[in-house]
Amino acid sequence: MSPHRRQVVTSPQTRLAHARRRHRTSWRPPALDPADARRALAVYKAQRVRAVSAVAALLVLMVGLPLLLRAYPGLDDVRLLGIPVSWLALLAPYPAMVALSWWQLRRAEKAEETAEPDP
Amino acid sequence: MIVFAVVPVVLVTLLIGLRGVAAMRTTSDFLIASRRVSPLLNSAAVSGEYLSAASFLGVAGLVVKDGIGALWYPVGFTAGYVAMLALVAAPMRRSGAVTVPDFAEARLASTSLRRLAAVVVLVIGGLYLVPQFRTAGLVLSAVGGSPYWVGVVIAAFAAAMTLALGGMRAATYVQAFQFVFKLVLFIIPAIWLLIAVGPQVRHEAVHPVEFTHFARDTPVAFELEVTLELDEPTSVRTADGSMSVLPPGEFAVPQGTTIVFADGAPVPGVRGGSPPGAEGWQRPLLDLRDAGYPLLGTLAVLVATMLGTMGLPHVLMRFHTSPNGRAARRTAALTVALLSVFYLFPGIYGTLAKVLVPQLYLSGATDTAVVALPSQVDAGPWGPVFTGLLTAGAFAAFLATSLGLLLVVAGAISHDLLPGGLARLRFTVIGAAAVVVLLALPSARIDAGVLVTWGFTVAASTFCPLLVLGIWWSRLTVAGAFAGVSAGLLASAGAIAATLFAPPVDGWLSILIAQPAPWSVPLAFATMVVVSLFGRPPAWSGAAMLRLHLGERHAPSAHRGRDLGHSSWSARRSSAVRRITRRLDR
Repeated sequence: MSPHRRQVVTSPQTRLAHARRRHRTSWRPPALDPADARRALAVYKAQRVRAVSAVAALLVLMVGLPLLLRAYPGLDDVRLLGIPVSWLALLAPYPAMVALSWWQLRRAEKAEETAEPDP
Repeated sequence: MIVFAVVPVVLVTLLIGLRGVAAMRTTSDFLIASRRVSPLLNSAAVSGEYLSAASFLGVAGLVVKDGIGALWYPVGFTAGYVAMLALVAAPMRRSGAVTVPDFAEARLASTSLRRLAAVVVLVIGGLYLVPQFRTAGLVLSAVGGSPYWVGVVIAAFAAAMTLALGGMRAATYVQAFQFVFKLVLFIIPAIWLLIAVGPQVRHEAVHPVEFTHFARDTPVAFELEVTLELDEPTSVRTADGSMSVLPPGEFAVPQGTTIVFADGAPVPGVRGGSPPGAEGWQRPLLDLRDAGYPLLGTLAVLVATMLGTMGLPHVLMRFHTSPNGRAARRTAALTVALLSVFYLFPGIYGTLAKVLVPQLYLSGATDTAVVALPSQVDAGPWGPVFTGLLTAGAFAAFLATSLGLLLVVAGAISHDLLPGGLARLRFTVIGAAAVVVLLALPSARIDAGVLVTWGFTVAASTFCPLLVLGIWWSRLTVAGAFAGVSAGLLASAGAIAATLFAPPVDGWLSILIAQPAPWSVPLAFATMVVVSLFGRPPAWSGAAMLRLHLGERHAPSAHRGRDLGHSSWSARRSSAVRRITRRLDR
């Protein structure tokens, strides 16, 4: 046997537990420590404000652009490098969404850092 | 040619899958790769899994069939990840769940809700998986001439073997590799096509005209039976080379025939559709089912794709492979960027296919527009080479998506419905693949895009409200979640049944039946909220929700300073937590 051969080091009890069917009993989420609960509440409120504003911005983009294209059919005839502007408008959401997600990511991470300063 | 395209993809998939085979002891190792996947690798895997046949082939085909407005589909596909980033990614990962049914149980502590969620996973998985295998069969038979079942079986075999051996770890490496592979195989042929077609075609591509007369002798292969409507006598050439003239009226083309329309012949109509380039084709809005309400059609598709992405179980499962909530959030943000690069290109294929292969719309085979393009542009050696490359990319698309879906279906069966060990999970993967093959064999006629869109609609009307309210609303009760998920499932499934079996209707009603998301999603949300408000959430419900928002920058307080877990520490009482969570309502 080569010296590098891997050995199973699980206890026979553990192996038995893994092989056995999991028994389901009535379950409830683990309790939250009061200190953690206070911090979680602060994070929750901060993240809720940020999430709502990000989703609102996304909705403005997703509803606003079709409305704009509906309201100005003349954009079909305006051309940029030979391509109708209204076609290019269907590519415009991508950079906007990348910017939006970057913005939201930064804000969400900052909110966590403010609510949970380094120990 | 076809062998050179598909065999390497399948082999590389199996080889990379083997690289992912590591010591696996628990179902968590198998289903979520022990939660060790970094954000960059994970976002590539999410994108690789997400870019299915519907993205690689379907969007360009829809552009040919429905017009430029079809480019709203990929916008909605990408926007889903922005919403996921803001609302779902980090808290869901912090729940510690492995699957969506797991999350439901972790938040609401109900095993019956878990079973219902597992059934929903099976419905979505079926709606999504059958078209992947079906399109694999169709593309191989269109490009290589092999029988339909060969492609189906190859796809199922490669996906099931990779998963049964390596589980999620193997799937992660394969999907991440296939994302890069698909990106390269989509962008390079697009640029080559743009250069090779010449200025005349490029000019026609941006100045679309209606497809009324054949510009040259055009063979059209009818794989399925189609009824054509002829307004004037049309000269065609049949297989034996003799010319004949079809009289005006309806003409049923039998299955499996090829008709060569003569140069200059008028283009026949197809029932229930308008030819590429007709009035409204170049409008940047999506007139679903030609109902005459382009704005409603566009918004309906956006709601379904955007909110559906948030509820797709195989995508959500990928987020559980992140080591922590922060990494899950970064994964979502990176995925938006990766998808944005890919989705700049389907429009190029769609507009070029409108000029070069508009006749595909007659036989309903617009899904093959992407792979049909290269041979139209270059009759020399390069055409087949690029067709081979695109076929390989398309096959990678079926495989990557099937991997994630098979895993989530196996997880729903062997982790949520009938919990068992690792060995059972491996066998379930193979069994599930066999069942889906049996379902896919008679499904060649069904439009892949339609099935996948239904999968999105069911996800949007069930899991999206469950996740959003579960994460952000502490008053959600088990009864509310159960009623909301059931209402969403029944509404979306009922609309699907109505589309299939009920007599057709006109106008805006037809849009709301074909694409029920604009009403079924609010219905599911409203049911959940109203039923929850009538009930009373358990005392620990506020704490269960807040736990999802607690970052991992700190170890739990119990491990710092005093032993708060000791029974003599009064602040440890659950009443102290309840006093804090009561502030949620203020």
